[in-house]
Amino acid sequence: MWNELLYAFDAVATLPNFLAMFAGIWAGVIIGAIPGMTGTMAVTLALPFTFYLPPVTSILLLVALYKGSTYGGSISAILIKTPGTASAACTVLDGYPLARAGKGGKALNMALISSCIGDFISNISLFFLAIPLAAFALRIGPPEFFMLMAFSLTIVASISGRSLVLGIISACLGLLLATVGEDIYGSYRFALSEDMKSGLGMVPVLIGLFALPELIKMVVFRPEENNAALKLGDNRLTLSEFRGSIKSICRGSLIGVVLGAIPGIGPSTAAFFSYSEARRTSKNGDKFGEGELEGVAASESANNGACGATMIPLMALGVPGDVITGVMLGAFMIHGLTPGPLLFQNNIGEVYALFIGILFSSVFLFIAGKVTANAFTKISRIPQTLLLPCILILCVYGIYSIGASPFDVTVLLVMGVVGFLMMLLNIPAAPFLIAFILGPMFEDNMRRSLAISRGDLGVFFQSWISWGFFVLTVLFVVLTIRREWKKWREKRDVANNATSAS
Amino acid sequence: MFRQLKKAAGLAAAILATTTMISTAQADAYPEKAITLVVPYGAGGASDLAGRALAETARNYTDGQPVVVVNKTGNGGMSGAKFVTEQKPDGYTLLLSRVGMALYPAVYADSPVGWDAYTFLGILESTPMILAVNANSDIKTIDDLIAKIKDSNGATTYAASGPTAIDGFSVQALLSDVGLDPLTASTLVPYKGGSALAAALLGGHVDFLAIAAGSLMPHIEAGKMRPLMVYSPKRMAALPDVPTAKELGYTQAGQVGGWSGLYAPKDLPADVVAKWTEILGKVATDAQWLDLAAKRGSTSVIGDEDPSAYVKSQFELYNGMAKKFGYIQ
Repeated sequence: MWNELLYAFDAVATLPNFLAMFAGIWAGVIIGAIPGMTGTMAVTLALPFTFYLPPVTSILLLVALYKGSTYGGSISAILIKTPGTASAACTVLDGYPLARAGKGGKALNMALISSCIGDFISNISLFFLAIPLAAFALRIGPPEFFMLMAFSLTIVASISGRSLVLGIISACLGLLLATVGEDIYGSYRFALSEDMKSGLGMVPVLIGLFALPELIKMVVFRPEENNAALKLGDNRLTLSEFRGSIKSICRGSLIGVVLGAIPGIGPSTAAFFSYSEARRTSKNGDKFGEGELEGVAASESANNGACGATMIPLMALGVPGDVITGVMLGAFMIHGLTPGPLLFQNNIGEVYALFIGILFSSVFLFIAGKVTANAFTKISRIPQTLLLPCILILCVYGIYSIGASPFDVTVLLVMGVVGFLMMLLNIPAAPFLIAFILGPMFEDNMRRSLAISRGDLGVFFQSWISWGFFVLTVLFVVLTIRREWKKWREKRDVANNATSAS
Repeated sequence: MFRQLKKAAGLAAAILATTTMISTAQADAYPEKAITLVVPYGAGGASDLAGRALAETARNYTDGQPVVVVNKTGNGGMSGAKFVTEQKPDGYTLLLSRVGMALYPAVYADSPVGWDAYTFLGILESTPMILAVNANSDIKTIDDLIAKIKDSNGATTYAASGPTAIDGFSVQALLSDVGLDPLTASTLVPYKGGSALAAALLGGHVDFLAIAAGSLMPHIEAGKMRPLMVYSPKRMAALPDVPTAKELGYTQAGQVGGWSGLYAPKDLPADVVAKWTEILGKVATDAQWLDLAAKRGSTSVIGDEDPSAYVKSQFELYNGMAKKFGYIQ
């Protein structure tokens, strides 16, 4: 093994490989930071170039683009409340309030450090745990997946902000909209037009919901103070701030690794999951959503943690979990490498070379992220009246460029209006989004399970994995109800005291 | 005054003549700008790789003009197909078609695009499908499988993209061939995409499936899946011991299979059609094209079939089955 490792190190430590990775990460960070342009797009556009590169270099380039764009999304999420990618949506919750309070630089640094740590932990797991994690992922069948999704939906309670009821309403709207289009059996729901048959796009919904309401608010209310440029304030992340979040970062990275290894779940769910966990366990839990650095750390460590882990099922099983790893599977095949158990037998040299190359990504990510984030912080100095129209144009062009589809732009604008109405009614947007992401997985796996068992509900309780998630779900719901009950009683006591005092 | 008018008219005529000349010259010079190849399915999938392989190879023969692949997904590939039929028939927007373009109109009476709403430029490749079970399964042969399906009274499960997708028809055609009810004899569990389907069988969550070879070959080679039968005109070079559906006497299943074609909007000018016939002729023997096809697990069939007759026969095959199985009246 050591011989092979040394040989692989020799093979991977070449200038073209490092150049490809560095360029890939940098381009990824910039693309991820631009609203509407996603990692999927970057990887797809780069695919034809890889036909002409050596196999290891091409895969490293694609991986680098993926990792870069996953981090890049956090830059625009923090500075302009527009998550560049879905996985950064959760970073908005605390990142943007921090930027408004003049701590944008702090938040960006925290996002970068947690992303790099998440990335590193995920790379290490890819190196050492690929085979056992892949075996675990395969055991997640439809019933287990359904239970996992049920548990994930309890995240709604953590990201609802002040009112749980409004959060649940928001999540229900998200679930409802997720049903638009073709279901897994091929029948159509809410297909009012030809375009709606393929459902609503993830990115238009995301950006419409998060970025546009802010713009509409500016136009409708014309607030004076918004015109002032954001103050940058103190940018440095202090050691004690970092120490306060280290637990959340480590936990977030691990959540990212485990969820990333299960095909189909992906970085955005991992980010929300980790955020919810951090909020539940942190002593500052109540301040989450108002500008808490730990929230940014939890979200960003998990999405980059998941990023490297999505390579696990791809390389160990030959099963890509999302579009990006799907494109990578294509790239592997074009070069005559077949991901799966055979890859580790026939091409162990390339596998080690890839692993070693990927290990360097965390360092590159740090450098590229630092420089780019510093450049992007200047955005904060642009007055909002100039900045917001530019964001709108970027969003519309970005969305149109995904599929050259005018319908996506319509979805973007309609969701913007919906988001604005929700903002007026104080309905939080994050539960909507997470329900929109999880809804199809929740429904599809329930229907698959029931198809397999021919309608017998017992199918959901046949393995310890299902039982585990079931118990966690029940526990979490009970805890949430207890918390709400306490809050309600405190409020009532305060009200009673106030009346008795007067 | 008249002289001036006459002069102007003469000038106009001259301009007209020149532009006509230029435009004929342009037609001769097709292609004079980048050609867009629409792939109606997602990036990284079998159809996307086929499209990109075609684009990469064809651009050597398009007089220096690039062929740009654009993924336009949605509605079982029909969104991309519809988009292409709505473009100007000038040869600058083409469609990488799949069996779905014949299958969808055969199954849905209200299909947004008919099977024949195109100019057919060629059939590019045939992609075999494989009927497989998990390597740990006690099912060793196709007869074992059919016996088990018969015994289980509908409780066996198979993974497919949907009842009316090609990988659903592959199983239903077989069930119908052996005299079982294609819709109830075995239970369909729907998954989206070749890799999700393969993972379902790999994890032992379904009993069997019959999907594109490209998604299964890696797992078969790794010894994780057992192939029982192939859906292709002849045995696959990589699986010389696995019988074809035709050999086993399954008449409907023997005709099911995947393929890719190259379509253009209807009424494409004859000179553009001729140019593409020429380009495809060169692609057919191009080492890169053949190499990439082999790596995807498909066979290049450029020039083997008359495209419009082939597509018509495919439409009729699936239309017949859809009627027989009760999907349409």
